[in-house]
Amino acid sequence: MTPLMLAAGLFDFSFLPRYSSYFIKGVQYTLILSAAAVVLAIVPALLLALMRLSKSRVLRFIAGAYISVFRSTPMLVQLSIVYFGLFSVIILPSYMLFGFIDISMFIPGVVALALNSAAYVAEIFRAGILAVDQGQTEAARSLGLTQGQTMKLIVLPQAVKNILPTLANELVTMIKESSICGTLMGIQELMWGAKTVATTTHIIMAPYLVAAVIYFCINFPATKAIEALERRMRRGDVR
Amino acid sequence: MATSAKPIIEVRGLTKRFGSAVTALDHCDLSIFPGEVVVIVGPSGSGKSTLLRSLNLLETPTEGQVIFEGVDLAGKDVDINRHRQRMGMVFQHFNLFPHMTVLKNLTLAPMTVKGVSQQQAEATARELLKTVGLQDRENAYPIQLSGGQKQRIAIVRALCMQPDVMLFDEPTSALDPEMVGEVLEVMRGLAARGMTMVVVTHEMGFAREVGTRVLFMDAGRILVDAPPQQFFSHPDNPRLSEFLSKVL
Repeated sequence: MTPLMLAAGLFDFSFLPRYSSYFIKGVQYTLILSAAAVVLAIVPALLLALMRLSKSRVLRFIAGAYISVFRSTPMLVQLSIVYFGLFSVIILPSYMLFGFIDISMFIPGVVALALNSAAYVAEIFRAGILAVDQGQTEAARSLGLTQGQTMKLIVLPQAVKNILPTLANELVTMIKESSICGTLMGIQELMWGAKTVATTTHIIMAPYLVAAVIYFCINFPATKAIEALERRMRRGDVR
Repeated sequence: MATSAKPIIEVRGLTKRFGSAVTALDHCDLSIFPGEVVVIVGPSGSGKSTLLRSLNLLETPTEGQVIFEGVDLAGKDVDINRHRQRMGMVFQHFNLFPHMTVLKNLTLAPMTVKGVSQQQAEATARELLKTVGLQDRENAYPIQLSGGQKQRIAIVRALCMQPDVMLFDEPTSALDPEMVGEVLEVMRGLAARGMTMVVVTHEMGFAREVGTRVLFMDAGRILVDAPPQQFFSHPDNPRLSEFLSKVL
């Protein structure tokens, strides 16, 4: 292939009218997949964070081990293990959600992403909890509140403020990372759509360029919005 | 003093070490009787805050006992939360809950811990707010209050639990000078109504006028334990004389 052909492929967007549905459906799939993964990660992440902060050495070790494993191995490897390992044993029915989401693919994808995300979100929660002034805990405990009541009524409500922006960042990461689900398992998200259009039309580059532009148009404004949100929240941060 | 009465708090051989290098408290003994106002003074790092914080086990003693109303709080089967309900604590940095209104700050513990009804808790809170002159701020958030107002609210928050003892950890140290008076005024009022109080402070005037006993601590030990008159007029301890010459 000559550089000239590549360049021509780069600017050949003639596929767009006919194949636009691949990108529209793809982006919807990507957003649903990433949002579901982050939402599904929240409860286990909170548990992991509380375990890491607990007095019990055993709980701390279990949570620490989980987080270390998922943060120190590539997501592609984790996804492969979950999809080809775990979900070769668990057989899911092929049911279509919203007409275009195949449950038998979607669930393994979400589970793998959520397992990974839980490790990162757990650290976000832990940092958010630790950032709440220790004096708040002391005041609550001195009034006779138990450790659990203190966490639930005093610490967590204040930690949310620290956690939310970073959690939104995790969603941005997921939107990008979820693209490997398309490549590995053929989940029909945005990256899969771009790849399919490229192979079908033999236009090599432009479909990926469209995908890149779409990813950028979602994540860049989102990142800016999160930064603005963080700045606003920090302004109200006076004892 | 009430010699026949039993001490409300009794500290025996209390030692607190942080790691192996730092000894914050070194075998402290102390008895506090109902109605007393015990003021603890001393240079910074002398262990006075650690001693106070050990009384409600915010610091866990390394050795020794803290006996509150007959129960050794450091004992194994002690439900510390139950005993803390009867010991109010006021902190240097107020530690009001910033995500709650004043009223919610005041009613949270009575409702959560003691199971008092909302109506009852709010009635008590409003009553006590009136005594510190802040009845019109019940819907304010802590961020909207001055330091002096915050500390008065913090005192009321502790009082809402109807404690038997009030512990004050440098309650005026973080305040602008013009706000110190209003907080000390509230504390004076409490003392006058017979509240048992343990106060760590640098306010020597308060120690002299309100204290029934003044303790001088240095290097984790209680070196002097005397009535204010004797404490300030005839300091017989060289370290205390030196300390007083610097702060008075």
